[in-house]
Amino acid sequence: MSLTTMNRYQFLSLCLLSSLPLVTPSVCGQSTQHKGQIQVSWQSASEYASWYERGASVNRFGQGDNRLNLSRAVLESRFDVSSSWSAHSVVQYVPDPDNKVGFTELYAQYKPLSKGAYQPQLRVGGFYPKMSLENPDVGWSSPYNYNFSALNTWLGEELRIFGIEASLKRSGKRLKQPSAHNWQWFAGIYKGNDPTGAVLSWRGFSSHDRQSVFNESLKLRPTAGFMSPQLSGQAWQIEPFTEIDGRFGYYVGAHWSYQNRHSLRAYWYDNNGDPAIVNYDTGQYAWDTKFWSLAYKYKITRQTHLIAQAMSGNTAMGKARGVDNDFDSQFVLLTHRWKKFRLSGRIEQFQVKDLDHWTFDPNASDGGAITATLKWRITDKWRAGAEFQYLETKVANRADNNLPTRQIEQLWRLSGEYRF
Amino acid sequence: MQRQQQVKKRIKQGRRGRGLSTAVLIGLFTTLSMAAKAVTVNVTDERGEPVSGAVVWFEGSHLSKDTQISQQLYKMGQRDRAFTPHILVVPKGAQVSFPNYDSILHHVYSFSAAQPFEFKLYRDSPQSLTFANTGVVELGCNIHDWMLGYILVVDSTHFAITDNKGIAQVNLAKSLSQSTTVNIWHEGFANLDQPETIKVAKLGTNQTLTYQLNQSLFKAKEDFSDEFDDYE
Repeated sequence: MSLTTMNRYQFLSLCLLSSLPLVTPSVCGQSTQHKGQIQVSWQSASEYASWYERGASVNRFGQGDNRLNLSRAVLESRFDVSSSWSAHSVVQYVPDPDNKVGFTELYAQYKPLSKGAYQPQLRVGGFYPKMSLENPDVGWSSPYNYNFSALNTWLGEELRIFGIEASLKRSGKRLKQPSAHNWQWFAGIYKGNDPTGAVLSWRGFSSHDRQSVFNESLKLRPTAGFMSPQLSGQAWQIEPFTEIDGRFGYYVGAHWSYQNRHSLRAYWYDNNGDPAIVNYDTGQYAWDTKFWSLAYKYKITRQTHLIAQAMSGNTAMGKARGVDNDFDSQFVLLTHRWKKFRLSGRIEQFQVKDLDHWTFDPNASDGGAITATLKWRITDKWRAGAEFQYLETKVANRADNNLPTRQIEQLWRLSGEYRF
Repeated sequence: MQRQQQVKKRIKQGRRGRGLSTAVLIGLFTTLSMAAKAVTVNVTDERGEPVSGAVVWFEGSHLSKDTQISQQLYKMGQRDRAFTPHILVVPKGAQVSFPNYDSILHHVYSFSAAQPFEFKLYRDSPQSLTFANTGVVELGCNIHDWMLGYILVVDSTHFAITDNKGIAQVNLAKSLSQSTTVNIWHEGFANLDQPETIKVAKLGTNQTLTYQLNQSLFKAKEDFSDEFDDYE
């Protein structure tokens, strides 16, 4: 969608997003807070059509999309109900592929004032587990690079918790023996998230900043595997957040920080999916997906920060685990803030290893990327930036469509945004 | 109050073994300049180095109340996820407003015995509170855990905070011939509820006092917090 061809639907969505902050305070009094972002981008497009337009490119903007886009609009709201309880929502608009507006998060939070060193907290609803140290900005975006790292791109596409998360925070400065070490322990149980792992298996890792909204259905390029009788029950699109097998999934995590200078986040996620269960109506399998994630942030100086994250896991579907893949990804990001500018560089690699014997459905993929981004905070409200990404991907099933399995892309992106 | 007791224990442990040191030194100098009517108080640490951020106030039944000071509207703001000022001194009964200069919400609270309270503070809608009891009100934010500030409520209208050179200028309209209590408080004290005090027999306007602290100060570790640390 270009700005000049913005249709009525897009215009209405934008009006709705931008008018909410004006309307709600008068309705709810002084108990609401809204933050938002409207971002316009130009991105050099890939040689192939984008993956969710059933193409072979892993980028957001595929063949023919190298126009000025309204790339994202976000409204992040907080409604305070009482001292301890608040409701949170994040609504996002993306133009690709078909002007999507929806919730990326919607939850209630319990965070009581606590006199002692220990503070219990709860989140109930649909939300991200806080595994990433790359995505602390408005609407789970990255203040560093425009296109997220491959592993966090995947979390944005296929992972969301629909359930309850309990945590206990231990504040070092309030202990009887005060310490500069802070801890927070997490445990979550949830439904949904059963098809998680499908996009990773059939498309491979990607790097972009598009997050799936609740109830999203992601189209995939129909590979030869989809035509096989073994995968006849599988639809050509993935509904990553749906419940298939009726079982609960869980995750546990721990955050450690020291002096607000070192942060470490370790998580184990298991959707506890039963790979034998399939919903023939929607064409969705329950995938058995589990992985660990380890994220680290070090503030070398106040201006220069290092962020790294690694993830490794397995995902499988089918009665006899006909699709069975290991996956892993790692990145290192270095960012430096100088006056109103922030320069960030990231290097990463990713791979999906095909472990199963279904040779008609190859799932192997690997690749890596180098991303350099310069962001300029002109004022608090107006921001601009440029990004260059060298992205190399090799996806085995591209051969099904007689496409070269390896793609090397050099992508430029220019973005301007308004914050409120 | 529990949190303050914890702070007390922490600092006492830190001091163990160092030994109590130093005598109180008061140097009295009569200066020739009579231009400004204020008592200059130099606060130094155990080694004689100037101490900044120390609160100095005078107490005594003979001290006249400066109504201009007691009726002033005081402000404890929040800017860039920090309390500004970090330490605010107010006379007993003063009204303090809490303007939020940030674009984000702060959930400011205190468990202090002197004035427990909590506010959710949105931008451009400050709330205010009257501080009727003397004491130290330690402030925190439930959203930005690293934020720390103090409101010191004193039974006096004669107070000041030392600058980078360790100097506080405490207004005094006329010389005092009766005994006056000089109180000194610093956030690095072992017991935040216990200021150091000294009685001064006579206090002349434009006099200079030098006060050496009785205790070593707890020094807070450098904090690297930034705008993204609330994603926790």
